[in-house]
Amino acid sequence: MMKSRGWVVYPLLIISSLLLFFPIVYAFLVSFMSGTDVMNRSFLPSIWNWSNYERVFETVPLMRYLMNSFIVSTGVMLGQLVVCAFAAYAFAFIPFKGRNAVFLLFISTLMIPWEAAMIPNFLTIQAFGWMNSYLSMTVPFFALAFGTFLLRQHFKTVPHELMEAADIEGLSKFATFYKVVLPYCRTSLVTLGIYGFLTTWNMYLWPLLVTTNDEKRTVQIGLKQLQTVEVATDWGVVMAGVIIVIIPTLLLLFIGQKQLQKGLTQGALK
Amino acid sequence: MKKMIYTIILLVLMVGMLVACGNEEEAASETPGTSGEENTDNNSEENTANNAENNTDSNEKNANESEASGSEPQTIEFWHGMGGGLGETLDELVEQYNASQDDVEIVAEFQGSYEELLTKFRSVGGTTDAPALVQVFEVGTKYMIESGYTTPVQEWIDKDGYDVSQLEENILSYYTVDGDLHSMPFNSSTPALFYNKDAFEEAGLDPENPPRTFSEIEEAAELLTVSEGGETSQYGFSMLGHGWFFEQMISTQGQDFVNEANGRDGNATEAEFGGEEGLKVFEWINSMHKAGSYEYYGQNWDDIRAAFQAGQVAMYMDSSAGTKDTIANAPFDVGVAFVPHADDIDPQGVIIGGASIWMANGITEEEQAAAWEFMKHLQTAEVQADWHVNTGYFAINPAAYDEAIVTEEHEEFPELRVPIEQLQETVPSSATQGALIAVFPEARQQVVSAFEAMYQGMSPEEALNQAIEATNHAIETYNRTATEE
Amino acid sequence: MSSSSVTVVEERILQYGRKEKLSWWGKTKNFRTAMLYLFPSILLFSIFLFYPMLRTVYLSFFLTDAQGVASLFVGFENFAYILQSSVFRKSMVSTLLFVLYTVPSSVIIALFLALLANEKLRGIGFFRTILSSTMGMSVAASAVIWLFLFHPTVGILNSFLNIIGISSIPWLLDPQWALISIAITTVWMNTGFAFLVILGGLQNIDQHLYENAEIDGAKYRYQLRRITLPMLSPTLFFIITITFINSFQSFGQVDILTQGGPAEATNLIVYAIYRDAFINYQFGTASAQALILFILVFGLTILQFKFGEKRVHYQ
Repeated sequence: MMKSRGWVVYPLLIISSLLLFFPIVYAFLVSFMSGTDVMNRSFLPSIWNWSNYERVFETVPLMRYLMNSFIVSTGVMLGQLVVCAFAAYAFAFIPFKGRNAVFLLFISTLMIPWEAAMIPNFLTIQAFGWMNSYLSMTVPFFALAFGTFLLRQHFKTVPHELMEAADIEGLSKFATFYKVVLPYCRTSLVTLGIYGFLTTWNMYLWPLLVTTNDEKRTVQIGLKQLQTVEVATDWGVVMAGVIIVIIPTLLLLFIGQKQLQKGLTQGALK
Repeated sequence: MKKMIYTIILLVLMVGMLVACGNEEEAASETPGTSGEENTDNNSEENTANNAENNTDSNEKNANESEASGSEPQTIEFWHGMGGGLGETLDELVEQYNASQDDVEIVAEFQGSYEELLTKFRSVGGTTDAPALVQVFEVGTKYMIESGYTTPVQEWIDKDGYDVSQLEENILSYYTVDGDLHSMPFNSSTPALFYNKDAFEEAGLDPENPPRTFSEIEEAAELLTVSEGGETSQYGFSMLGHGWFFEQMISTQGQDFVNEANGRDGNATEAEFGGEEGLKVFEWINSMHKAGSYEYYGQNWDDIRAAFQAGQVAMYMDSSAGTKDTIANAPFDVGVAFVPHADDIDPQGVIIGGASIWMANGITEEEQAAAWEFMKHLQTAEVQADWHVNTGYFAINPAAYDEAIVTEEHEEFPELRVPIEQLQETVPSSATQGALIAVFPEARQQVVSAFEAMYQGMSPEEALNQAIEATNHAIETYNRTATEE
Repeated sequence: MSSSSVTVVEERILQYGRKEKLSWWGKTKNFRTAMLYLFPSILLFSIFLFYPMLRTVYLSFFLTDAQGVASLFVGFENFAYILQSSVFRKSMVSTLLFVLYTVPSSVIIALFLALLANEKLRGIGFFRTILSSTMGMSVAASAVIWLFLFHPTVGILNSFLNIIGISSIPWLLDPQWALISIAITTVWMNTGFAFLVILGGLQNIDQHLYENAEIDGAKYRYQLRRITLPMLSPTLFFIITITFINSFQSFGQVDILTQGGPAEATNLIVYAIYRDAFINYQFGTASAQALILFILVFGLTILQFKFGEKRVHYQ
């Protein structure tokens, strides 16, 4: 029965994939185009050349930025895993007074737009002396309501036989946490890890604010650096920048897609 | 298997902790001395008067430190908002300077758009995180003067006996307030009219005699508009959604933008562009828009340029900084002319735009001296010639126009001279000096919104009124807190 | 958000607690342990979200001077001003319209794609990867690409339209179209994440349900209505909530594509806040708007939980 559906599904899949993936493919094509190709609305570059990429690396210290993005994203990923896992454990397994209220408080943080909190946070960062430091781009993002929620939902699916066994063995709460709960819920941990990495990699206004030199800057700022106001923008170069910036995240997504998808549902489901 | 997995996770957790701790140590070593922290606190809570005291305080400390450090080159941080090719040119200038001497190293750092740059400077101003030099766009001038975070360059001009008369008077006048030059002009430009000469010929217009007045433009735009079966393939005229162009139309009529002599005799309290001068501009654009010879391409510089390059619009106004690119990229002959002016008036000229460089006051005298040397270096005819040729911005020092590279360039692109002539012919007055208001960015936005509302069918009077009211509200709100101090 | 939130383990712990006569110290043991685990989160939230939020509340009652310092107490004047300001009203209308444009279409498109990608066909892994790709795209990169696609002169979207005989659309230039253009960009960016979540949800549905239905000879559409959608409802509820909240907070795409124009048509609320705070330096009115936004999103989310959860089918 499934097979008979194939001839309806394939064309639909192909069309949707083409539509959805088109902007990325086109950005890739434009990144090889000369100014005249761009003006002529060409679909394919008339000559494939790498000069736009060379220009990008000349204009912006992109390798350094990529490195910084990598450090910051990894830092946030790890920090989020630790902080969110702790919080989720409390919400899932410790029936304390006022749990619902605290949980609501956590969820309410989802509704605070980060842009609205940016100025006070900037002043805080400055008072801490965290300007131009990886700390300012990582620590504020360790606590994450979405991540806590995701992990809590998965933690709750831990079979109670397992928990009982842990209890009988006389494991302490913390031991239960890292010997039983974490291994059982590794899918969600991986999911949150990928999610955290991706979202951090993609931040753009905040890293620009808290860094004042190239030392600690991330790649999204490089994208901004390629655009100008009073003189013409070179679209080929900008698109080359775009491609360089998205390659790492797309790769990560392609590799981790299965895990990500599994973990995300465990969070949503129960 | 299971055991292995949780060992890995545990490891990950531990590494996470380690990274966090490691970072903390690193930050601790990066944290500037206590003097900086004191300043930070004061800065966020108290106002300028206190800061000044603290600054002298920290100046002394810093001075001692730098004396001790000996022969290391002094580092001068310079924040700018020049992206893309402009940034590259600037970096080259800085590199050349650094290579030319051993005492000072200028570190140029890109900080985002002008708005982001100013926001950031506002937040770190008066602290040790602040740079020695910062580039600020022209409409931020009033804010910078009042911020208390800067030293007027006039102090150094006087101390050093620097001859400012060698610099372009009509550019200096914008940054001169109460007789003092507050910042060093750096990248200055004015608008100019750009037109498609080929299209002019096709329409039977004289490409060597471009239209100058509103009604001449309107007539030409009518002739230049090409449409077939309701589809217009070429529009006559367009104006970017940016308040700067409207300001030129006001100034060239000799009208101030705000009262108190454009805010230069005292704090402006009211917008003054709402009279017949402003209305003339709104009505002029509206009438072309209604007639179908005008098309709006939004607030993005690139979009209107692309439209011109593609032959979709035959005349538009652009920054003089883009002149060379526009001519070089266009597949047709490009003409450059003075900005249009209202009928039956004597055109007064244009106001400059762009940005200037400010000197921070939270740094040592030595650092200021080094920063000042760099500023002077930027104004030499050689550097200015380089800058002018590579970017299209004016040479602040007119002597640069006699440099060989410039004369060659001007021979190749004679159109480059038009904006320079336009600037030099400008009649000095408060109107062409440009307005000094703290809420300028907001006022500009309001003007653009008013134009856009008019394109949607609002009457010119109503649209102009809307801009006036919103601008007045912004000025009023600002003045309430400013007088409170 | 499950109603059966107390698991067996928790009950056991509760009973355990009840059996012994406990002092206050003993009774709060759980609370104290929980706080230990929650401490890092609470600390970080307090510093980087709750404190700024309180500061926002404080600032909303003041006018700030050029240095951004609250210098003049004005009571509710900021609120009164923005509530009667036409710019703010317009911004609210645009935001609500934008949410209306983006949330249903993001979820429906993602659902459609997930249903397609849930078929067990050869090479389906490849399609899944492609369809989830926009999740890896940053706002900055996505918006720059779309800016180029929408470009009035060099944009290729209009070329396509012209080829199939439709005249060019003023994507970012006409107020109505501009909002739609931003919505298209946003939906595109949302799709990857929503697709992944929904696909995961589909794969968690017990295959036996379908097998039984096949035996009964049920048609695809019947299966979809009676099995897939009810079983998927928790996932859908989750993704709707997340998309909804994110939609209200859209910022980057506006900043890059339109800067709130033309004629303020895309001046979405978070962008309006940013503009007041960063460009106009009016922290007072910016804070007041931020507060109104927070209350609005909070209220709507609670409503959504109230009414939405009833329709969600839990296993």
